[in-house]
Amino acid sequence: MRALAIAVTALALAPAALACTPRASQASLETKLVCIQCHTTLDESDSPFANELKAEVARRIARCQSEQQILDAMVAEFGPTVLSTPQTHGFDLLAWVLPIGGILLGAAALAFGARYWSRGGGARDESSQADELAPEDERRVDDALGRFE
Amino acid sequence: MRALRAAAVAAVLSLLGLLVWDLVHQSGPGVATKIDQGKAVPAPLLELPRLNGEGKLSLASLRGKVVVINFWQSTCYPCKLEARDVAEASREWAAKGVVFLGVDAQDLKSAGRAYLEHYKVTYPNVRDAIGKTWTTWGVTGVPETFFIDKRGRVVPPHITGQASRKKIDEGIRRALRS
Repeated sequence: MRALAIAVTALALAPAALACTPRASQASLETKLVCIQCHTTLDESDSPFANELKAEVARRIARCQSEQQILDAMVAEFGPTVLSTPQTHGFDLLAWVLPIGGILLGAAALAFGARYWSRGGGARDESSQADELAPEDERRVDDALGRFE
Repeated sequence: MRALRAAAVAAVLSLLGLLVWDLVHQSGPGVATKIDQGKAVPAPLLELPRLNGEGKLSLASLRGKVVVINFWQSTCYPCKLEARDVAEASREWAAKGVVFLGVDAQDLKSAGRAYLEHYKVTYPNVRDAIGKTWTTWGVTGVPETFFIDKRGRVVPPHITGQASRKKIDEGIRRALRS
């Protein structure tokens, strides 16, 4: 009788024991995948196609596939546009690099400009041009000043 | 300072260049708009992986035959409503050299194949995973059906929504006559 009880318990627990650990999260995957018909993440869409994709994700989770395996399978099926964030390799890398590059370039331009103006570079340019008088003008100024003496 | 100005001008010019490039490379209103105005236009290139078979299928390989192109999705209700009629028409017109071609767009491969099996679709079908053909053809929703004559031109009519057997037959007859 006792042996039978153990066997029944073991059978009842078998599916849980066989279940994959760690299990991929349906909620997390739904934020990482895009419904390519409606252009929103799966968790924000209730279209028939989004529901079809959600069901496919659930089927793959039930088959113990990892989150990365599921994402890879979706990319193989629809291409990288199915991902809500660009990939970090290949052409998609530009999406990450360009904004950072732009910020760095902007910061460098600001730093350069600030340094230039703090040294009075712009003012010196203008004043140096203003200081230089033509010889004729210089002579006329000297004459005018001489009349006051 | 001059270097900074030059960099700013270069940046603005590059952005302008990008804008011009984008305007030049826009694909226009698509085939559907022209067909609906009663015009016949050369069929755009279409080469996609087969959904019910191996390798790719090119529309160019069907030149010289009247081709019926049907855009569909497995999750689309009107597509399901027309599926049996389209499949039946494909079998009946095959003897007269008319070829049917299905384009399953933005769909799961497994769902698309199950759909073909369920509705007993035996004519060639290709898979457009992200719907890149939609812009060129001017497809705004599924199902939509186009007719191509023997000269490789897309000719009116263009069926939007569920295609009845009567509309399909009428479209084929017009394509055969053109």
